[in-house]
Amino acid sequence: MTNATIANEPSAAASAAENPAATIPALRLDRVSYSYTKGGKKVLDGRSHDFQPGMVPALTGPSGAGKTTLLSRLSGLAVPTEGRVLYHGNDLAKTDRYRYRSHDIGVIFQSFNLLPALTVAENIILSMDASGKTFDRPKTQIAKELIAKVRLRPEYADERILHLSGGEQQRVAIARALSYDPSIILADEPTGNLDLGTQNDIMAIFRSLAHDEGRCVIIVTHSPEVAAQSDEVYELAKLL
Amino acid sequence: MFVLKNAWKTVIRNKGRNILIILIVAIIAAAATVGLAIRNAADNARETGLASTSVTATIGVDRSKLMEQAKSSSSSSSSSSSSSSSDSKPDFDAMREAMENSSLTLADYEKYAKASSVNVGTYYSESTGVSGTDSFQPVESTTSNSANSGSSSSSSSSSSSGSSSSGSEGSTQQDPGRGGPGGDQGGMQGMTSGDFTLTGFSSDKAVAAAKNGTFTMTSGKVFGYGTDDNGKVIISKALADFNDLKVGDTITVTNPNDTSKTYKLTIGGIYENTTSSNTDSAGPMGGTSQDADNAIYTSVSTLKSLGLDSTTTAADDDDDTSTQLSYTYVLDNADDYETFASDVKKAGLDDTHTVQSSDVENYEASLVPLDNLAKFALTLLVVVLVVGAVVLIVLNLFNIRERKYEVGVLTAIGVNKVKVAAQFAIELLIVTMCGIALGVAGGAAASVPVSNQLLASQVSAQQTEAASQQAQFGRGADMGGGAPGQTSQQGESSGSNDSSGSSNGSGSTGANAAPNEPGGMRGGMSRAVDYVSSINATVNFKVIGQLILIGLGLTLVSALVGIIFVMRYEPLQILADRS
Repeated sequence: MTNATIANEPSAAASAAENPAATIPALRLDRVSYSYTKGGKKVLDGRSHDFQPGMVPALTGPSGAGKTTLLSRLSGLAVPTEGRVLYHGNDLAKTDRYRYRSHDIGVIFQSFNLLPALTVAENIILSMDASGKTFDRPKTQIAKELIAKVRLRPEYADERILHLSGGEQQRVAIARALSYDPSIILADEPTGNLDLGTQNDIMAIFRSLAHDEGRCVIIVTHSPEVAAQSDEVYELAKLL
Repeated sequence: MFVLKNAWKTVIRNKGRNILIILIVAIIAAAATVGLAIRNAADNARETGLASTSVTATIGVDRSKLMEQAKSSSSSSSSSSSSSSSDSKPDFDAMREAMENSSLTLADYEKYAKASSVNVGTYYSESTGVSGTDSFQPVESTTSNSANSGSSSSSSSSSSSGSSSSGSEGSTQQDPGRGGPGGDQGGMQGMTSGDFTLTGFSSDKAVAAAKNGTFTMTSGKVFGYGTDDNGKVIISKALADFNDLKVGDTITVTNPNDTSKTYKLTIGGIYENTTSSNTDSAGPMGGTSQDADNAIYTSVSTLKSLGLDSTTTAADDDDDTSTQLSYTYVLDNADDYETFASDVKKAGLDDTHTVQSSDVENYEASLVPLDNLAKFALTLLVVVLVVGAVVLIVLNLFNIRERKYEVGVLTAIGVNKVKVAAQFAIELLIVTMCGIALGVAGGAAASVPVSNQLLASQVSAQQTEAASQQAQFGRGADMGGGAPGQTSQQGESSGSNDSSGSSNGSGSTGANAAPNEPGGMRGGMSRAVDYVSSINATVNFKVIGQLILIGLGLTLVSALVGIIFVMRYEPLQILADRS
């Protein structure tokens, strides 16, 4: 557990050095470039970066800097036009990304992407089913524990997503992302719809996931407060 | 497993929409069930209707074909033969000759019976005219003929044969008139002259199929068919009463063209026709020999011993006597009939002859409403299935478009697109199978009453058509389709032809059908076909299997459309559109 609250490169390097397991990055960007049309304007240009486990790195940058584009490459929803995204050393472009998405990475989308017709528990269990993993406890029990973990009241389990507020939906999305025990958690503007109190609450959860459970929790945000609470800041500058 | 579970959950979740789809599918399935059941029942009726009953068949001559051939042959040799007649007049002689030559002999018939690969039973009867003597005279109301017969019959024949000779020039006996009523009797409408019709039968079966219908013995018994019983005959009760004869008496008849030739016959029995014979319909034109009461029955063996059998009379050239041969084949079932027909063709029966069966033809005539119903059912089936497929595809398409977001979310959380597509297909399958199950149940309950109701309307439509023709023509018109067995030739010249048929001793041309004839039709003019008026359109496993196959096919087709949609979606695109 580090107490680095000021995000800067040296502190990140220091924490990596303290933790020997962090020498193998969970995710590595290897000269990643992306353009919507071939030979067109590049949204990302030769980005390289390592994301270490046990850390909460923040991806920041102004609008149009390619935050969301990079997030889709990291989450395996799309592949870069040039360069590679490596998960534990394996090129995502060459592996089964369905399996990667369902198994290894938990994405908290900006718009949550929960199924409105399903209840909170059903949404969580759906992801657990989709991962194909086996669990040591009944799935409903895990779902209940996760609901408690994101500090939702237990009676929300059987509530339809439609009936939940934005903040509550966000917590469900987090619970869903945690449900199948992925090693990487990717959160896109996780505090966008939240008041400050809840924001801190959520950030505390993320830090605990990284520091206590050794996961890599990548947060995409343009909020300086959130960036300040992360372990390292990886800033994307707008390409000219 | 995930796919199945998810599919089931989704089906349960969207109850309202799925119930709607189930209802639509159920209606389609019910209509398809009725359609399939009707077709199935019609096929069954066609196949099994004559499968277990024996079928009688005859070999008939196709006169028009024969005449065509005669024409072509005469025109080819026109310079030599048709010197006087030229082209303006038909070459009557050639045609008559052709028709005479076309008649088959007993040996021919037997050859064909042997040629068949199926089990063929045969019987035949031979009829010839004989004249009475002073001591033995025909039943008749006027004395005109008795004078003739008294003064012996070279002249008597002229009066009585006048009616028939025009029609019977040459031997026309083999033409039952395109499977006319009782066509199996080999059409003896062109009958020879004489006061009596002496008919020889080959077996009890032949007697049972006698043209005048069935009879009962009032005294004595029916002759045997061996040579021991040669000379034994049975005569009608009316004839016996008229001549004051009883069993054991001897009667003498003469050759109608040569009174010096006499034949002595012993009365072995006296019979009475059970079906009322139409003695009246003989009319002034028909000879007394056409009167059912003037029919003398004996065995073919007797005829042979008298030199009156068809082989002998055909062999002698004097033409003073002609014996009509009516040869009938008995087949075990309709399939055997088809085999027999083709076997006979192979055995060398030429094109001018056709194998016909009034049983089969009557049966097919009775199936006309059923066939119409089957056609209707096919149309119904096609329309219902096409509409069903379109509705199902459209519903599924809307469904999947609506669930685009769900596809995006599922693929984003790592559910393979193939699995998503499979889930959608399984959902559709669950829903349509429920619908089909409901529809089959409903259709099965409805198919019997519905199909019988539809059949009843078809029958009445058929009967109305027949009735309107009856009103227009004053008789059943041969419009084809309605009653193919009916021939205008038979019905038209009712007076002589019809009565000759009846008096010649076997049944179904008369106004009253011999009841023992399978599918026996009322004769001649007022013939009514007993249409098949009820079918057993029950739903069997075959129908259910077909329906499930159809349902699977429809589901797969509409699911395929959905799968194409799912496959086209990119999760990122869907989610990007959303946010």
